[in-house]
Amino acid sequence: MTDKRVVVVTGVGGYWGARVATQLSASHPDWQVLGLDENAPSDELAGVEFIQTSLHNPALVDFFKEEQVDTVCHVAFDESARATEATFDTNVMGTMKLLGTCAEAGVRKVVLKSSMMVYGAHPQNSAFLREDSPLQGNKAYGYIRDWVEIEAFGNGFRRQSPETIVTILRFAHIVGQKADTPMTRFLREEEAMVLLGFDPIMQIIHEEDVIGAIGHAAQHDVPGVFNVAAPGAMPLWRIMGLAGKLTAPILHVVAFAAVSFLGPRYAPIELNYLRYRCVGDLQKMRDELQFTPHYTAEEALREFASQYKSRRYMGEENARHQEETLLRDTMERRRRIREEQAAAAAPVKAKRRAAKTPRARRTRESVLNPTLAVVEESSND
Amino acid sequence: MTEKKTSRARATRLNGKATAGEATLEEEAVVKPKRRARKTDSPTPKPRRTKAKAAQPEAPPAEEVIDPSLRQQLQKEIEDLIGRLRSLNPGYAPPPFSPQNLIDLLQENKDRIPPGLQFGILEKLKGTLGEDVFDVDTWKGMWFVLNSSLQYQADVVKRRMTGEYETDEWGMDREVIDAVLPFAQFLYKTYWRVEMRGLENIPDTGRALLVANHSGQLPFDGMMLATGVLLDHPVQRITRTLYATWFPTLPLISDLFVKCGQVLANEDNGIRLLEQEELVAVFPEGYKGVGKLFKDRYQLARFGRGGFVRMALKAKAPIIPVSIVGAEETYISIHKSNFMAKLTGFPYFPISPTFPLMGLLGLIPLPTKWYIDIGTPIPMDTHKANAANNMMLVSQLTDQVRNVVQEMVLERLSNRRSVFWG
Repeated sequence: MTDKRVVVVTGVGGYWGARVATQLSASHPDWQVLGLDENAPSDELAGVEFIQTSLHNPALVDFFKEEQVDTVCHVAFDESARATEATFDTNVMGTMKLLGTCAEAGVRKVVLKSSMMVYGAHPQNSAFLREDSPLQGNKAYGYIRDWVEIEAFGNGFRRQSPETIVTILRFAHIVGQKADTPMTRFLREEEAMVLLGFDPIMQIIHEEDVIGAIGHAAQHDVPGVFNVAAPGAMPLWRIMGLAGKLTAPILHVVAFAAVSFLGPRYAPIELNYLRYRCVGDLQKMRDELQFTPHYTAEEALREFASQYKSRRYMGEENARHQEETLLRDTMERRRRIREEQAAAAAPVKAKRRAAKTPRARRTRESVLNPTLAVVEESSND
Repeated sequence: MTEKKTSRARATRLNGKATAGEATLEEEAVVKPKRRARKTDSPTPKPRRTKAKAAQPEAPPAEEVIDPSLRQQLQKEIEDLIGRLRSLNPGYAPPPFSPQNLIDLLQENKDRIPPGLQFGILEKLKGTLGEDVFDVDTWKGMWFVLNSSLQYQADVVKRRMTGEYETDEWGMDREVIDAVLPFAQFLYKTYWRVEMRGLENIPDTGRALLVANHSGQLPFDGMMLATGVLLDHPVQRITRTLYATWFPTLPLISDLFVKCGQVLANEDNGIRLLEQEELVAVFPEGYKGVGKLFKDRYQLARFGRGGFVRMALKAKAPIIPVSIVGAEETYISIHKSNFMAKLTGFPYFPISPTFPLMGLLGLIPLPTKWYIDIGTPIPMDTHKANAANNMMLVSQLTDQVRNVVQEMVLERLSNRRSVFWG
């Protein structure tokens, strides 16, 4: 029992906690995964020991010490737009208490799930925000505000107990067939509201890659803050097109007035994020975290669309074409994963293979435009 | 003449591919337009065709059976005719077709035809007018052209709707550039008749920073510089112009700027672009420059805080000074209204003789003659590695570049005789 590495995952009653916990226990049989939550998960989680407790429990310190917890993956977070006392209690106070507990119990590593929305969407934003950019998250929505506060706690915690490894993962907009995030809510809406004449570049990440990145951070010791997104930032209208949505553009003045009048439930994503660019620089993700998302942005959206695209608008031919692209995407992705695994197994081969992929990409791009190819190439490095 | 006429009539009767082709060769200037009109310009084939016939009236149709020997004989005759025509006027190439030319040609030749024949032609015309409408080929051609263009449009819309297009990570969209280019080209070639000199100073590949003077109330100068480089540079490079922070807040314009490959002006973006070996253009004067009053024209404002020099130093990119002359006079700003600027949220609000008095009409720029001169590059890789942190050096270089641009502007101004004609 003692030789096993003990990993605690919070919020296993929710989707993310449950997925992360099961994933960790499945990929690391030598780990002991403990799932914490106030409410029991609806399904039995394979290989995960469920412990019913809230994060406010004062006995949590003793529990952590007793179990000799090595790593804590904190994914419990309530992503509702409206700020209520209850969500604040779980999000901010919960995180604060948990971090205090970790410091007290001498936990070796803490992994926090955050969002790139903490940078805020502003007209003066750099095109690619590095991790050290100021956190000016737009404060209208509860969850963004909570994230900014959590990040502040995380930073404070890092300074107070430097011996603890703190990894904060800032994820781009998450899409996936099962996840419930602002982006999926936005794309699932009957008529998604976009702003007329604004088409900001956005980043996307697939839900599987979110779980993969948390697992990656739990496995490897990589202290720091990281932007995590799939390669391929693209305009919002293209995102909606790939997700099979028709856009319903509204004049931004009207839209802002409507949301402030009717409340945020009509706009799952805060309107500023649909207006200004808020894109993270992925250099650090590639170099330091050394994590490569399996899904590209296009693939993630096409997969999302396969379920939610309204088939009634589509002819038989288009539907078949879509199925074909989807399968091709899957083939491509599986090939990439296999290559990656092979690369991990044989480092010498890895270099050759790693060199191969960008070259193939370059030739495809260069047909389109030679200058684009240069952009691609240097951004890939 | 009569021989030609009959042979033409026979050729049309014969309907053989070879002969028809040669018939057109023979009377290229006149007959070819007719065929073209029929194929491409479906809405107006009738007048052109009839006029073509007026020049070469058809002989009355003869119902006769044609045997192969006759066909060969005809072919020989036509070849003979072509040879004679060629020898009369060696090296003749038909002028490019335009309806105006055709009408002029008819006007010239009208009087040569005897009056009796003129009536005959008129009668013929009346008959053939209806013929075209019932001609299956006409409708086929019209259908084909319409169909293919519709299909293309539908395809574009469908692709845009389903996200099947590519942008780079900055948001540049080549299709949008191609769509905007005709308008930019009109401004560049016809409206402002921009003369661009020194394009050879822009490298074919690799990073470079264009530094230009800013003027003209609306940032048309950036557009013209980028258009010129795209159209006239041998490699047709895309210029990444850096724009001010006010533009991202504007609907449609922000979108258009981003899609055309322009990027918000800040040091991070500039350095990143240069490191991606892009051609970047900056207007360091900013609002102060573009919103100049008419009395201050061509007096360069302060070159910002030297951010562009830091960018160039960090990326080790050569600075290429650019002077743009002619843009200052596109609008005549008499006064800057602070009150209106606050009211509208504009960074500045110019009052000109026509704006805002004449409303949107006052926004039409004056058709001045423009000159864009691209100076010799100033290398930046000779400085030390941390030169960008040396504030003295940065301010010195800033002033140096400003002086170079100012000199280039003044030199061009001294050679210019007229604002509108150059």
